[in-house]
Amino acid sequence: MTKEKQKLFDQKVVEQLGTKKERWHEETLKGKVGDKKYYTESGIPIDILYSPSDIKDLDFQKDIGFPGEAPYTRGVYPNMYRGRLFTVRQLAGFGAPEDCNQRIKYLLDNGATGVNIVFDLPTVRGYNSDDPEAEGNVGACGVAIDSLEDMETLFNSIPIDEISSSVVTHMPSTTVVLLAMYMVMAGKRGIALEKLSGTNQNDFLMETVVGSAPEILPPKASFRLQCDAIEYASKHLPRWNAVSYNGYNLREAGTSAVQEVAVGIANAIATAEELISRGNSVDDFAKRMSFFWDLCNDFFEEIAKCRASRIVFQEVMRDRFQAKNPKSQMMRFHVQTSGITLTAVEPLNNIARSSIQGLAAILGGAQSLHIDSYDEAYSAPTEEAALVSLRTQQILQAETNVVNTVDPLAGSYYVENLTREMAQRIRDYIEEIERKGGLVAVTESGWLHREISDFAYKQQKAIENGEQKIVGVNHFPAEKKKAAEIEVFRYPETAVRQTEKLARLRKKRDQAKLDKALGNLREKCLSDENIMPYVKEAVLALATLGEIEEIFREEFGLWQFPLA
Amino acid sequence: MSRPIKVVMAKLGLDIHWRGAVAVSRMLRDEGMEVVYLGNQFPEQIVNAAVQEGADVVGLSTLGGNHNSLGPKVVELLRKKGLEDILVLMGGVIPPEDIPALKEKGIAAVFGPESKIVDIASFIRGKVS
Ligand code: B12
Repeated sequence: MTKEKQKLFDQKVVEQLGTKKERWHEETLKGKVGDKKYYTESGIPIDILYSPSDIKDLDFQKDIGFPGEAPYTRGVYPNMYRGRLFTVRQLAGFGAPEDCNQRIKYLLDNGATGVNIVFDLPTVRGYNSDDPEAEGNVGACGVAIDSLEDMETLFNSIPIDEISSSVVTHMPSTTVVLLAMYMVMAGKRGIALEKLSGTNQNDFLMETVVGSAPEILPPKASFRLQCDAIEYASKHLPRWNAVSYNGYNLREAGTSAVQEVAVGIANAIATAEELISRGNSVDDFAKRMSFFWDLCNDFFEEIAKCRASRIVFQEVMRDRFQAKNPKSQMMRFHVQTSGITLTAVEPLNNIARSSIQGLAAILGGAQSLHIDSYDEAYSAPTEEAALVSLRTQQILQAETNVVNTVDPLAGSYYVENLTREMAQRIRDYIEEIERKGGLVAVTESGWLHREISDFAYKQQKAIENGEQKIVGVNHFPAEKKKAAEIEVFRYPETAVRQTEKLARLRKKRDQAKLDKALGNLREKCLSDENIMPYVKEAVLALATLGEIEEIFREEFGLWQFPLA
Repeated sequence: MSRPIKVVMAKLGLDIHWRGAVAVSRMLRDEGMEVVYLGNQFPEQIVNAAVQEGADVVGLSTLGGNHNSLGPKVVELLRKKGLEDILVLMGGVIPPEDIPALKEKGIAAVFGPESKIVDIASFIRGKVS
């Protein structure tokens, strides 16, 4: 890469153009536009017109460049979607493992190219299906997994050596257990760890900021487990992304696009610092860091966000951590279209919203995509609604031609200006977090929680007083503001079946082996050792998810989630 | 009324979605009510808190699919304590077809997505006086 500046425009010409823009403002535009100020969703002022003078010191090589080369503004792969289309990764998750297995097959049979599983709340929160805490939630909102055997049923005859799986484990404590189950399951099927391709979520903010629960591990413990899984995978699972920094869920809880990305990268920074302090080199693990973004309605800002996020990650990895492997500097991310922007009234309108958000994901260079379904505000999607989402992806891929040239918005005066502005605001917010002591500290102090809570409150007020327009809700409100007549997906009865499986499992286990494995695990909780091998041993001994999580709760203790 | 209306608000059980519950709590405060937000709790603890706080209203928020089992349980436990006067409201993602049964079991009203907080507040004022 050349060191000297290569400005995109001749500076003299651009200066003249700047003057011309002012003249245009005064002579041609004058009187044809009011005083109203416009802002992007994250508060960046929007000018009525952009021209070369708005990106005058842009340096092509340094700021834009070519795809597959630093700074990766235009994408992490040189051929982007001509090489491989983004993975069509629609979520599936409900009922018992055997029910969900059917939905996975249905999606694959209809052309999905990857698997994407969500788990029910008892699983995510570390309880067995027969624990009292699980009442009313078994098999709802996701699939129930209690033991290794459930994981085997879930992936029964899914070719996990050929297609990649995303397992939406959310929290580190859940991740270490479900990842261990996934590995052991693969091993029993004769699939080598090196062949396993996929991603798990594993973000300590899911537990300590994004979602609340009755029992929560302290931020430090949760962060340690997060790092354990990443470190373990960096040594044993070369094709596995053991973390997906979860900007999506933060954003849905209540942040701007800037905060979403900044917090995601701040977590990557915290992880890198921790793993380096454990003696790892940045190039051991950074190439497998992956990210998860939420694409909402502000079309150009969302595209600029995707581009800016790649720029900032590249800088951080190159300058701060001196990563040498180009792969360590490439931000790869999954996109889910926004759920919070979807409405219960006139649910078919959501297809329009999601399509536009999905288009933005492609123009932003996403590696994989889930498009939310029109029945988002009701339940898990019906088969029909899930198919519409899948088809929306396929229409974008096959009918619109948008995938056939890389980063088509590069060079747009507005998008380039916005990309730079977003990148700067992302850097500033990361700096603010660091000034306050870093990501774990702002979690412990409740600062990050308050940022989100305030955002959610303000947005609710803005919706209520009509400042933020939502079609069908407060803008052209639907005539009968009652729920539309749509079919709502009902979760199959699951608790009884899972309870029976658990009873059978407990009978057939080798108790001595189990006790030994759980004893070892307990002992290692407060040690400096990586927890993963001990969780794996427990899973192999047929420990249930709830038993392992109970040990975590007892050994790490519980933390009071901020209430405000 | 001299004393502000007192609302005890909780997330039901394991449901993680706190955004709506917190927004509603903060905006009911703006409406002049006193809101005690408990975070995630199971029915027994919610009822205990309602007793301790002398609540006029118990608000249950769930988007997690546990409304049918845990919601009516709160009403039942309140009745056992002779507290059928307390108004029990639910909100969140609850399939419309489940609402009649919830009302039959003593939930006074269910406010789903896109409900306005001013409407929730005026409903409460209409019932608690
Ligand atoms: C935001 C969101 C999230 C955020 C939550 C962040 C947070 N801190 O709250 C995140 C991204 C973390 C999330 C995660 C999950 N989510 Co979610 N999420 C949503 C979403 C898109 C919007 C919810 C929301 O906040 N709306 C805005 C607020 C203001 O609205 P509200 O809560 O409905 O509140 C309004 C009313 O309901 C009412 N109200 C609410 N509470 C109360 C209480 C009282 C007393 C009263 C009177 C009124 C009232 O007033 C409010 C103002 O109008 C919904 C879909 C949707 N569009 O509704 C899915 C949805 C709720 N999620 C769902 C699921 C399944 C999940 C997961 C469990 C998926 C999984 N298995 O991984 C995960 C949880 C994982 C985990 N870690 O535990 C499902 C639930 C399905 C069901 N119940 O059958 C939904 C419906 C989406 C779907 N179709 O799949 N989610």
